[in-house]
Amino acid sequence: MKKFRIILWILLAVVVLIQFVRPAENRSVQADRGDITTMYTMPDSVHTILKNACYDCHSNSTHYPWYAQVQPFGWWLAMHIRDGKKELNFSEYASYSTKRQRSKLKSIKKQIDKGEMPLWSYTLAHPKARLTAAQKKAIINWTDSVL
Amino acid sequence: MKRLFITTMVIAAIAFTACNSGNTSHEAHEHDSTTAAAGETAKAEAVGDNTPPTAVQPQFSNIDPKVAASLKTVVARYLQIKNGLAADNSGEAASNGKAMAEAMQQLDKSALTPEQQKVYTENEEDLKEHAEHIGKNEGNIDHQREHFAQMSEDVYALVKAYGGGQPLYHDFCPMYDNNKGALWLSETKEVKNPYFGNKMPDCGVVKEEIK
Repeated sequence: MKKFRIILWILLAVVVLIQFVRPAENRSVQADRGDITTMYTMPDSVHTILKNACYDCHSNSTHYPWYAQVQPFGWWLAMHIRDGKKELNFSEYASYSTKRQRSKLKSIKKQIDKGEMPLWSYTLAHPKARLTAAQKKAIINWTDSVL
Repeated sequence: MKRLFITTMVIAAIAFTACNSGNTSHEAHEHDSTTAAAGETAKAEAVGDNTPPTAVQPQFSNIDPKVAASLKTVVARYLQIKNGLAADNSGEAASNGKAMAEAMQQLDKSALTPEQQKVYTENEEDLKEHAEHIGKNEGNIDHQREHFAQMSEDVYALVKAYGGGQPLYHDFCPMYDNNKGALWLSETKEVKNPYFGNKMPDCGVVKEEIK
């Protein structure tokens, strides 16, 4: 019984300690000059959908949920954001080669069409990211208009 | 899990119908076959099944031998990915995708002339990303094929500029991606479709021979 209590104390100490290891927040200091909206005309409605459903992981500014302050959830989010940005970063889209820009548009279209993005796990905590059929269609139509 | 199952079923259904409906409209879709990379050549021609392929010479002839050797390796990996997909072998495509990304690291861009470099840099990051994705997606052959379609446009651009180290055939499958069509490159004149694999191995036409 005593042993059990010691383990519990150690666990608690670990949980407290890891709170001090905080990943840097994903927030750009200056305006994103390379944002995708500087390249293409995009209806505000579509831009709003992208901001609500994609920009948390695919841009240089994330709106963090409260639990991002709690570790290890914050680490987990940071990892997702890092991977997401590597794959596609709307804030730096203009810096991609023309070929890559086209590829990204095609991939956006496919992923939205198939419902593979936004990630299912992300939509659990972000109701705004649950895209309706009309919202999906708006994104797909937009990609078609600029491709 | 249920979602995944449903998605898979839907994709399978779409792919299946695309194959069947495609057969009858094979000729009809020939004309809207212009893909971005096919560019100027595709616009000018409307190749039927019996027309011999157009012979094309690469744009540059003075490629540094070391770069030419690296490019040949990249193209070789591409062809292995293509053969893997044509045989419905996702693992084969994945391992060669990874190897292609590595082969690209070995290529010494600085040995190219500025004009030659331009073509390479235009395609480099896109091609590498497709190679990595094909490498990462073992078991998801549909997704590998999506990336392969875009990868083929990059490789086509490179081969048209530098040559492939061997004669290559530029093939076209009019039915892929809901009849939007997609190109690929092959080392053999015989068509072996990498987009549909065993479901429709001989769907496609030879458009060009790149010497």
